[in-house]
Amino acid sequence: VTVQVAWYALLTALATGLGALPFAFARSVSGRVVGLAGAVASGLMLGASFGLVAEGAARPGGRLATGVGAALGVLFILAAERGLRGRAGAFEAIRGAGARRMLLMVAVMTVHSFAEGVALGVAFGGTAPLAVAITVAIAVHNVPEGLAITAVLYPRGVSVWRCAWWSVFSSLPQPLMAVPAYLFVEAFAPALPWGLGFAAGAMAFMVFDELLPEAYGDARRAVVAGVVSVTLVAMAVFQRVL
Amino acid sequence: VAAPAHGDLRLAGVLALLNQTLTVLLYASLAVGAAAFGAAPLLFRRVLPVTWIGWANATAAGLMLGVAYLLMTAALAATPAGLALGAVAGIGFIALAHRAAGLADLDLNRLDPTPPEYGYQVLLVTVLHAAPEGMAIGGAMAVSPALGLSTAVALAVHNVPEGTVLAGVLAGRGVRAGRAAALAVAAKLNQVLLAVATYAVVSAAPAALPVVLGVAVGALVYLVMAELLPESYRQAGRRAIALTTMAAMAVVVLR
Repeated sequence: VTVQVAWYALLTALATGLGALPFAFARSVSGRVVGLAGAVASGLMLGASFGLVAEGAARPGGRLATGVGAALGVLFILAAERGLRGRAGAFEAIRGAGARRMLLMVAVMTVHSFAEGVALGVAFGGTAPLAVAITVAIAVHNVPEGLAITAVLYPRGVSVWRCAWWSVFSSLPQPLMAVPAYLFVEAFAPALPWGLGFAAGAMAFMVFDELLPEAYGDARRAVVAGVVSVTLVAMAVFQRVL
Repeated sequence: VAAPAHGDLRLAGVLALLNQTLTVLLYASLAVGAAAFGAAPLLFRRVLPVTWIGWANATAAGLMLGVAYLLMTAALAATPAGLALGAVAGIGFIALAHRAAGLADLDLNRLDPTPPEYGYQVLLVTVLHAAPEGMAIGGAMAVSPALGLSTAVALAVHNVPEGTVLAGVLAGRGVRAGRAAALAVAAKLNQVLLAVATYAVVSAAPAALPVVLGVAVGALVYLVMAELLPESYRQAGRRAIALTTMAAMAVVVLR
C-alpha cells in the first residue's frame, strides 16, 4: 500500500510540471510577455482563491475561520517579504527584486498545496475509494497551478525544465497531506476552513501586492484586464467542473 | 374550502412578480442614490488629494470583486458552462465598447481643469460601468432575495467611493459639491433600468440566469482590472492598495 501511495503522490506532483509545457514553445521574452504572464498568473491565482474561500465558507461555521485564516495568510506574505528584503539572496542565479518575487511565488504555491491536500483528503474521506479518483482530481487540478508558477519564473530567465521542477516541488505537500487527511477525516476537518482561508489570503495578496502592479507596468491595461478576467473565470470553472 | 379559480391564481402570480420587480427597482434606486454621498469629501477639500482617489478606487474595486465572487459561486452551483459563456460575452462587450469609443487608455482620474470632451468621455465610461452592475442586482435578485439584498448593499457602498472619484474629476473642472453629487447619481441611472430589465427577462426565461450572471461577473472583473486598479497603484502605492482591496473584498465575501 505504501508503494502505491508513493506512486500516486509522484503522479499528481508530476502533473503540476505539465503546466510549464506551454512555455516550451515560447520564443523571445519581451517586456510585454512578462506583463502578460503576470496577468495570467494573477487571474489563475484569484480564480483559485475564490474557489478555496467558497469551499472553506461552505463548511459548518467556516465563514469566520476562513476570514481569520485569510488575514493570517496576508500577514504571512508581509512577514516573508520583510524577511527576504534584508537579505541579498538569489534564486536560480537571479538576484534582486526579481529573485524575491520568484521565491515568494514558489513559497505561496507550496504553502497553498498543504491546505489543498487536506481539502482533497477530507473531501474524499469516507466516500470514494482513495486510489484513482483522488489522484486524478489532484493531478488535473494542479496543471494550471504549474502554469501560474511558470508564468512568473520563466519570463525572468528560468529554463522550462527548472520551471517544471519548481511546479512539481510546490505540489509535493498535496499528496503528503491528502493521505493522512483522508485516513483521519475527523481530526483534519475542523482545521480545513483555516487552512483554505490562509491559502486564499496568501495567494490573493500576492496578486494585488506583487503580480498585478507589475503587470500594469509591463503591458497595456486593457490587455491585462482581458487576460486576468478570462483566466479568473476559466480557473474557477475548471476547478469546479474537474 | 373551494379551490381558487384559475384567474385568481394567475393574478396572484402577476402581483407577486410586480411586487418583486418593485423591490428590484427600490434596491437599484437606493444603490444609485448612494453615489451622491461620494461627493461629501468635496465639503472638506476643494481639490481631493490623489491618495484619497487611490483609496476610493481600491475600495470600489474590492467591493466589486466581492460581488463578482457572490454571483460566480451562485452560477457555478447551477451551470458552469452558462457562466463561462456569459463571462466571455461580458468581457468581450466591455472591451470592444471601450475600444470602439477610444476609451481603452484614457486616464480616468484627471483632477486638473480638463477640456469639455474629457467630460463626455468620463460620462460614457461611467455609463458603461454602471450597466453590468445593474445586471448584477437584477440577476442576484432572481437567484434569491437574500443574494439580491447583499449585492445591492455591496454595490450601494461601492457607488460611494466611485462617486468620490467622479466628484474629484468634476471638482477639477470647477463643478461645485452639490452639482457633483447630482451628476454622480445621474451618470449611473441606467443601473436602475438594467436591474429591472434583467430581472424581468430572467423571470420570464429562468434558463438564461447563469448566462446573465456570467455576463455580469465577466464585466465586473474586467472593469475592476481596466478602470479601478491600474490608476490606484500610482495614486496610493501598492501595499496600501493591496490591503484596501483585500479588506473591501473580504467584507462582501464573508458577509
